[in-house]
Amino acid sequence: MFRKTGSLLLALSLTLGLAACGSNNDKSNESSASPSSSASATTPASESAQASESTEPVKLRIYAQYAGEDSELPYDYAVAELKKEMPNIELELDIQAQDDGQKLKTYAATGNLPDIFQAGQDIISTFKESGNILQLDQYVDSTGFRDAILPSTQNTLVSDDGHTYAFPYAGNEMILLFYNKEIFEQYGVAVPTTFDEWKTAVDTFNKNKITPLSVFAKEKWPDVALFDIFATRFDEGGVLKLDKGQAKASDENYRKAAEKLSEFVKAGLLAKGATSMNYDQAAAMFYQGKAAMFLNGQWEIDAATKAMGDKVAWMYYPAADAASVETSKLTFSGGGGPGGYAVSAHTKNPELTAKVAAFLSRKYAEYKYTQYGTPIVATKVDKPIEKAYPPMMEELSKAIPNMKTTAFAWGLSNPRFKAAIEDASQALLAGSSVDQFVKAVDKALEK
Amino acid sequence: MNKFMGNRLAIALFVLPAMLLYSVVVFWPVVQTFYRSMFDWDGLSAGTFIGLDNFKELFQDDLFWLSVKNGLIFAAVIAVFQIGVGSLLAFGVAEAHIKGRKWLRISYFIPVVLSVTVVCQLWIAVYNGDNGLLNKLFEFLGLSYRQDWLSDPKVAIYAIAAVNAWQFMGYHFALLYAGVKSIPPAFHEAAKIDGASKFRAHLMITIPLMRETYRFCLIFAITGGLNAFAQMFIMSGGGPGTSTYTLTYLMYRSAFRINEFGYGSASATILVIECLLVTLLINRLVARERIIY
Amino acid sequence: MRTFANFRKSQPILQLSMWIYALISIYPLIWMVFYSLKNNDEIFVTNPFGFPTKFHFENYEAAWKSFKVPVYFMNSVIVSCMAVFGAVALAVLFAYAAARMRWRFQDTARIYMLIGLFIPVQVIMIPLAVLMRDFHLVNSLFSLIVPYIAFNLSFTTMVFYGFFRTIPLELEESACMDGASIYRTFFSIMLPIIRPAIATMIIFVFLAAWNEFPIALIMISKETLKTLPLGLLFFQGQFTTDWGAMGAAMTIASLPTVLVYVFFSEQVENALTVDAAVKG
Repeated sequence: MFRKTGSLLLALSLTLGLAACGSNNDKSNESSASPSSSASATTPASESAQASESTEPVKLRIYAQYAGEDSELPYDYAVAELKKEMPNIELELDIQAQDDGQKLKTYAATGNLPDIFQAGQDIISTFKESGNILQLDQYVDSTGFRDAILPSTQNTLVSDDGHTYAFPYAGNEMILLFYNKEIFEQYGVAVPTTFDEWKTAVDTFNKNKITPLSVFAKEKWPDVALFDIFATRFDEGGVLKLDKGQAKASDENYRKAAEKLSEFVKAGLLAKGATSMNYDQAAAMFYQGKAAMFLNGQWEIDAATKAMGDKVAWMYYPAADAASVETSKLTFSGGGGPGGYAVSAHTKNPELTAKVAAFLSRKYAEYKYTQYGTPIVATKVDKPIEKAYPPMMEELSKAIPNMKTTAFAWGLSNPRFKAAIEDASQALLAGSSVDQFVKAVDKALEK
Repeated sequence: MNKFMGNRLAIALFVLPAMLLYSVVVFWPVVQTFYRSMFDWDGLSAGTFIGLDNFKELFQDDLFWLSVKNGLIFAAVIAVFQIGVGSLLAFGVAEAHIKGRKWLRISYFIPVVLSVTVVCQLWIAVYNGDNGLLNKLFEFLGLSYRQDWLSDPKVAIYAIAAVNAWQFMGYHFALLYAGVKSIPPAFHEAAKIDGASKFRAHLMITIPLMRETYRFCLIFAITGGLNAFAQMFIMSGGGPGTSTYTLTYLMYRSAFRINEFGYGSASATILVIECLLVTLLINRLVARERIIY
Repeated sequence: MRTFANFRKSQPILQLSMWIYALISIYPLIWMVFYSLKNNDEIFVTNPFGFPTKFHFENYEAAWKSFKVPVYFMNSVIVSCMAVFGAVALAVLFAYAAARMRWRFQDTARIYMLIGLFIPVQVIMIPLAVLMRDFHLVNSLFSLIVPYIAFNLSFTTMVFYGFFRTIPLELEESACMDGASIYRTFFSIMLPIIRPAIATMIIFVFLAAWNEFPIALIMISKETLKTLPLGLLFFQGQFTTDWGAMGAAMTIASLPTVLVYVFFSEQVENALTVDAAVKG
């Protein structure tokens, strides 16, 4: 018996030997390549800029979202366009993980940052502090990016400190309350304009065993968004004002918002177990007519139209009372912030890399604009739309010019507050008390 | 004999390779974590030394105490289930007249073989308040008990601990089975002649003989429970709210979501100390004489 | 007579409950295969537990197309085998010295080795990554193999230690009398005795390395060096996940380990039986 085990071990160790050789080769290739790369890192910028004009092949590492059509198609398009424009550039894609920036931060800590990476608020502020992200002000002008940016999306280009650290492609997105027209008609419910009407609607749906609102509350940002919908009815600053430290959760308006939300939760606004539901579950509920309303960003318009045709629409958030319907109607939860394709501070040829990053951003936006029928991008697109706006987008584009937005959870700039309000909002949706909510949020704001 | 067992060169050859690798790859980063727990540090920039401030803050943080409590609950659920069920099954399978022993053994270990992601996804579905198997089971049994297993802040931590307990029971089964099997059958024969029942025979003879096995099973289960992370990460994200936070999750959140790496390192330090204390306690409680058959 | 009575009294219930538990244990395997053939709707709403109503083989197509299964597979094999070899070899040597030989600080050393069990890997990820860079192991499979060996040492030494301590001292005494060297004693007397433990640890370490995700995610960025668990990355988007294709990727990653286990567990069982017979 032992002989059998023994021979297996032997076989294993043989494989090991072979494997070891393989990896060694790999390593030596790696190290033989590195001296030249470190040498070129020391070349003055002007010289290397000239090099970039030539067709000398350049390899750039990029760390970006690439999972699912939403990110794959625009990325592929942008890369294909880049091939036409700058055929000498070769991009080596490293797919971004959903890991709270763990991998990117480790890259930074080990000095192994990719040349280009997608950065949001969180990455920009930590990388800025540690000198890992390239300040792009001069390239915003030299690449013509500043002229391309839409007047309404200036906020996505410039950070708090007045500088640019990433080329944005996304515009100011917002949270929409989608609803199923058929279900509303079936139960004789009018689209609510005030909380009271909304509450009546919730009761009616519950009586008929329809979930009033489907939210994928396992993820915490939709929970913050739901709170923000209530908060903005009382104070148009919403969570953004809290984030900036201009308000506290114990302020009357915010407390009232939390109380109202808690009241709705207790009345059965959400599905049972909503806080353990992911996007796919929540969306399926809505699309299969088991839920009357659905909360998600406007990016859902495309999928919603595909799934439900003209049976679906979005509504303005119900107002606190009849008097404030008109004044609060154009304040939406959501909004954009600085973010997009950023450039490593350690890239060999900053000018070239910045040029590529800017190009990718514009093409990414272009694809979304022309193919997904969304006007909500950061930069002007001079190509015609290939797919007409769905009716919901048509409607939305009328509202956009006068719209005010707050922020998505991921766009909040105070990480401590962000983590606290995410947890506290979810707890509120799971039935915990308003006092706990206020306490947890204010504690995070104290520091 | 003393010289034989005290052969310095042999000891060095046996001990040093493992010690060296372990010290560099595992222990050195831990030391750095301890060191960094005294810094106000975002993980990337230089950071400022703040002494024990992180710990002071930690002890005043409600979330910290909640995390400690949850970790202990988690560890207790795992230890009781895995070692309890693992022992029953190991003794059962070791019985002389069990049929299909091979397949039983293989089955018990299957959940261990699968990745945590698969098993967590399965249990998320099982726990679903709407169409989950667990609620259906209660329905089938004619009980009116229903539960939103993962969405109830009071129940969620137990529900998640159960998943870990269930998935990794196989490890303990395998270890305990190997332990039972290495007890010479003569002991069981002796018990039989004495007329002791199966249950008593195991309680009085097998279990004491397997003291060493139980010791490492206990350490493995409890430290595994205190360290659990993947299940929270996949199944609850620490939620609803903060109700399923453990020290590991708190550490992760501090380090990567809030960029307070120093604070995260402080909770990791506490975690290591906690585990060390538990291990020493177990070593103390489970007597240390050498067992000789 | 007595055994017969025992058999009638307790065995049927015992057997039945043991088989029920076995079924519950196998179910996730079956469920995973079903899952990998469903679409999101079926997985979450219409049919989370049953047989797929329609086989979505395109999930496998998606998995196969998204990442290079053979390359990832080979990497997983290499990494896991080397981790097994390294961890088991180093641990068994250390454990023997700690359990049987006499030296100062042996208890301290043993407890020291245990600390690895207490470390949540996330917290030391950055120092570990820095270490791998300083050793120039980045961008090679060694950036996984070395940590996998090191992190598995704690558990394996603990188990081997436990096993060594149950072996009678007389064995070494008589070997010593016969004039055998310590090395000879170790390799030809002690090692064969703890064979069951070695076989068990081979399985444990192999599985741990095969399924490991967090370290692999951080250390490996090159396509050619990725291991199977990293295949999951292709299906988890920022907002949506292609669960069916993810199931397919997980099935591709898991089935081989089930086979390895089934094969190896037979070896364990046989080793155990032989062992008990010898000792008895």
